[in-house]
Amino acid sequence: MTNKSNNSFNTWQKSFEKETKKNYRDAKSETDEGIDIKPVYTKDDLENFSFVENNSLPGQWPYTRGPKASMYTNRPWTIRQYAGFSTAEESNEFYKKNLESGQKGLSVAFDLPTHRGYDSDDDLVMGDVGKAGVAIDTVEDMKILFNNIPLDQMSVSMTMNGAVLPVLASFIVAGEEQGVDRSLLSGTIQNDILKEFMVRNTYIYPPEPSMKIVADIIEFTSKEMPKFNSISISGYHMQEAGADNVLELAYTLADGMEYVRAAMSKGLDVDDFAPRLSFFFAIGTDFFMEIAKLRAARTLWAKIMKDFGAKNERSLILRTHCQTSGVSLTEKDPYNNIIRTSYEALSAILGGTQSLHTNSFDEAIALPTDESARIARNTQLILQNETGVTKTIDPLAGSYFVESLTEELSKKAWDIIEEIEELGGMTKAVKAGIPKLKIEESATKKQAKVDSGSRVVVGVNKYKNPKEPSVDVRVIDNNRVRDDQIKKIQTIKESRDKLAVEKALANLTNAAKDETNLLAPCIEAVKLRATVGEVSKALEHVYGRHFAKSLSVSGVYGKHFEGDKDFMKVEKKVIDFENANGRRPRVLVVKIGQDGHDRGAKIVATSFADMGFDVDMGPLFQSPKDVAKDAIENDVHAIGVSTLAAGHKTLVPELMKALSNIDPKSKIIVFVGGIIPEQDYEFLYKNNVSAIFGPGSNIIECAEKVIDLISDNLSKE
Amino acid sequence: MELIENIQKGERAAIAKAITLVESSKDSDQQISRQLISELIKKPGKSIRIGFSGPPGVGKSTFIESFGSYLVTQNYKLGILAVDPSSQITGGSILGDKTRMVEISKNPNTFIRSTPSRGALGGISMGTREASIILDAAGYDFIFIETVGVGQSEIVASNLVDIFTLIVGPGSGDELQGIKKGITEYADIFIVNKNDGELKIEASKTAADYKSALSYYKKLDELEKQVLLVSAIEQTGMEDVIKTINQIVNQNKQKGIFEERRADQLEFWIEEEVKNIIASDITKRLTSKGNISKYSEKVMKNEMSMYEAVETITKDTLKQ
Ligand code: B12
Ligand SMILES: Nc1nc2c(ncn2[C@@H]2O[C@H](COP(=O)(O)OP(=O)(O)O)[C@@H](O)[C@H]2O)c(=O)[nH]1
Ligand SMILES: [Mg+2]
Repeated sequence: MTNKSNNSFNTWQKSFEKETKKNYRDAKSETDEGIDIKPVYTKDDLENFSFVENNSLPGQWPYTRGPKASMYTNRPWTIRQYAGFSTAEESNEFYKKNLESGQKGLSVAFDLPTHRGYDSDDDLVMGDVGKAGVAIDTVEDMKILFNNIPLDQMSVSMTMNGAVLPVLASFIVAGEEQGVDRSLLSGTIQNDILKEFMVRNTYIYPPEPSMKIVADIIEFTSKEMPKFNSISISGYHMQEAGADNVLELAYTLADGMEYVRAAMSKGLDVDDFAPRLSFFFAIGTDFFMEIAKLRAARTLWAKIMKDFGAKNERSLILRTHCQTSGVSLTEKDPYNNIIRTSYEALSAILGGTQSLHTNSFDEAIALPTDESARIARNTQLILQNETGVTKTIDPLAGSYFVESLTEELSKKAWDIIEEIEELGGMTKAVKAGIPKLKIEESATKKQAKVDSGSRVVVGVNKYKNPKEPSVDVRVIDNNRVRDDQIKKIQTIKESRDKLAVEKALANLTNAAKDETNLLAPCIEAVKLRATVGEVSKALEHVYGRHFAKSLSVSGVYGKHFEGDKDFMKVEKKVIDFENANGRRPRVLVVKIGQDGHDRGAKIVATSFADMGFDVDMGPLFQSPKDVAKDAIENDVHAIGVSTLAAGHKTLVPELMKALSNIDPKSKIIVFVGGIIPEQDYEFLYKNNVSAIFGPGSNIIECAEKVIDLISDNLSKE
Repeated sequence: MELIENIQKGERAAIAKAITLVESSKDSDQQISRQLISELIKKPGKSIRIGFSGPPGVGKSTFIESFGSYLVTQNYKLGILAVDPSSQITGGSILGDKTRMVEISKNPNTFIRSTPSRGALGGISMGTREASIILDAAGYDFIFIETVGVGQSEIVASNLVDIFTLIVGPGSGDELQGIKKGITEYADIFIVNKNDGELKIEASKTAADYKSALSYYKKLDELEKQVLLVSAIEQTGMEDVIKTINQIVNQNKQKGIFEERRADQLEFWIEEEVKNIIASDITKRLTSKGNISKYSEKVMKNEMSMYEAVETITKDTLKQ
């Protein structure tokens, strides 16, 4: 610092301290990432960077400022809204309408049975068909999905990981039957299995064979589908599951490294496939942090790929899709979500994303309606057409603050990446369950901050709307969808060449044993109209199905509430309960069906335990019958069903039935948490649900209500 | 009692409620529980009780899932009591065993109960023994008791079962020296788990370490202790485990060791109950009198020696 600037800084500091009546040194605020944000940044902060280079340009090493030289000045980002529900017919209609209204690329959301490799007629998926995405059982469904959408012109992104083989195969065959050669198909398949084991939970096979499948797809597409992104390495789901930005960044890039290694182990040269790797990040409400994250991601990836020996410049460049954060959106006072999403979208743009999904304001209620989807889309159209943000590339470059933040995030993420490398890479770390646990810890901390009020969420824990608006909800009749799908499957099974299908499936099983590339035999089976479920089972014969072992954090929630009155009140109620009843209140927290949203269930379980409850934790994907058996054998006082994927109207009544089948006099009470549209409350209460806890519920309040309900119920004896 | 009938009919809810009673800290529950157990114990079933102990994370639950799946496909009925060590400072627990027993927990031929240990000795919770009596009466062929084994606690755990199994991980051979003696006395079978993938070599080495260590302590009249290699995850080695179990049970029965052990355990149990009652009674007397502080003051003021105080209080208390 020169003397002169030193003097002026000192003067500023004095004024600052006078105005705030605070010592400057104490005026920092700590982010979730553990980064201290200063009230002011200066030129001095730009010195001694080890990752960020101060004079770089867009499209140039280390690509901090963007993957392309011209960025949005030449072509704005792609508006790519993630959507899919019910049948292929209905989703196809929805897509076509959206494309007419200014959307540029498609992004398919599949339903959970498809994700997990079950056909719609499978008993295990009774409540899930078409509910949280579109049901695809065979290539016929895939063809309907893209009816009148020319696949040589439309880029299609598909969020598919577990059942990636039959689904990509169906897409290729659907293209071929439309008259489009696979080499002309453009788009992206998510194909990122590691984050499934960490947070998204739509895996099918164990980690090793799953990684092999990823590599098979990278190999196949690098040879035969030059315009298709073989993978979308996703941090998005990690942030949505509760990761802070450093964890999201580090784990995503570490995943990327693992995929590079997997592909190279197939004998591919890094430059053969690296240009087709793409990324996916979440954009939350921490405005500048998110901008810095995208800039840091590009910076670090360039370095990583250089170290892998990439020579082609395109191998060094990180291209990404982004989605605004769903978890930042609230059920309460839902129109606030339009505002949140707008800021997040701006953040993504300033960070230089290549494509973007903006969420609808009814995010925490149900799948978007036509109307809410229109507003979400328009958020981006307004940014593109009215605000002028496309005119200048990376406008925040040179900002003392943003550049420092970019550097600091890079550093922190790099430390974690090195740690994981020392452990032997992400596959190992994931198998040991470490990243998942870290993310859950971070999620639990965030919940504690909101519940304790130290983090303000407008309309939830402060500035509540006294007159909550009621909003329209998209309703999906899953029984109808299921019946339709079952009929379609039956028709196809009757008309196909049965022997040929059997042979193709046997070939596939053999290919899995031989460790040859699996996509080609999948394409053959799918062409003959083998179903997604059949193809998945053919592989399951060799690989088995994966069951996750779940670990739990403990003490993280409670630590935030030391000395808190409300928290201690519940603790005391628990002890009183134990003295009166000879044991603690015991609650079984479960997920039923294919719903893999476990963030809420895990947080509630650990928080309840911190307050002194005994909490039984069920595994994912239980049937109502499994849950009933578990609950009765452990003689729990209550079952807490956490349901977010809209299966509740089928699964909760099934659970009630299962309970009374085992024990007609069962006194176990049932309460429900998660995504429950208000319209369904009455239905659930009629089915003897004791209480419903929606998004944004304060967990201490939940716990108090639960213990009171249990006590009431016992006193009825 | 109607409850007894329902337990004997194998009704899930009845078994579960009975276990709640025996685990309960409420006096009135304990009274019913005593009646219940007294009745049930008169008509023992046919079950074999097997303890699986070992350090946290060694794969006990995973092994039970794997071995249990194997047994239920052979139509055995299987009761599982998992004592979960995860109690926290606050006393609440997250009981996550079932996330590691996904397959067997669905099976109608199983009954799985987790219990928080609350730091009780040996990782054995109050009521584990009684719970196994209930499952026995309900007609389960095998009763597995999963406990966390650390040092001394194995002794307590082994006192509840007919066969005591220690599960260890690859590379645990180093710890052998210190605990060798206790182990040979209390464990019948040593299972080296995680014999798969990269860990295979280490697992074999560990098994060899155990074998050689055990060879020193072989008693003449006793069966040779068995060391088995398994992978819970890959479900290998399970036939060996059941074969060994059957072998030991048969031989122990032939030699009368089986009955002898049960008699010893009953003796131990009675002794323990008596001690417990006396201890809790004494504690009550001591606290209700609240005069210890009176004596400690005297000791402080040098009016009395510390041991005089102890003696006086003891005499005083026992007299009542
Ligand atoms: C985070 C999230 C994800 C993460 C999940 C990470 C994880 N491991 O949990 C990711 C990104 C992976 C994900 C994926 C998908 N998601 Co999602 N996701 C969300 C999101 C944004 C937030 C959910 C959340 O975790 N909130 C934070 C937690 C703490 O809150 P909570 O679970 O609601 O719990 C609170 C209360 O509800 C209550 N509670 C809940 N459970 C219980 C239990 C008890 C016992 C008690 C007392 C209280 C209680 O207390 C908690 C504390 O306040 C919601 C939308 C939203 N804003 O809610 C969509 C949402 C649930 N997802 C949705 C969909 C469709 C999906 C996908 C199926 C998309 C697809 N087709 O591929 C996938 C598949 C996931 C799967 N395997 O099931 C839809 C479901 C639609 C519907 N119900 O009609 C939603 C509603 C978004 C939308 N509007 O479209 N998702
Ligand atoms: N490699 C390998 N890992 C195992 C095996 N059995 C269990 N594990 C892992 O060890 C960890 C602890 O298992 P768990 O059954 O919970 O152990 P417990 O605490 O002894 O009950 C989990 O991550 C399991 O996946 C096995 O046979 N092989
Ligand atoms: Mg265990």
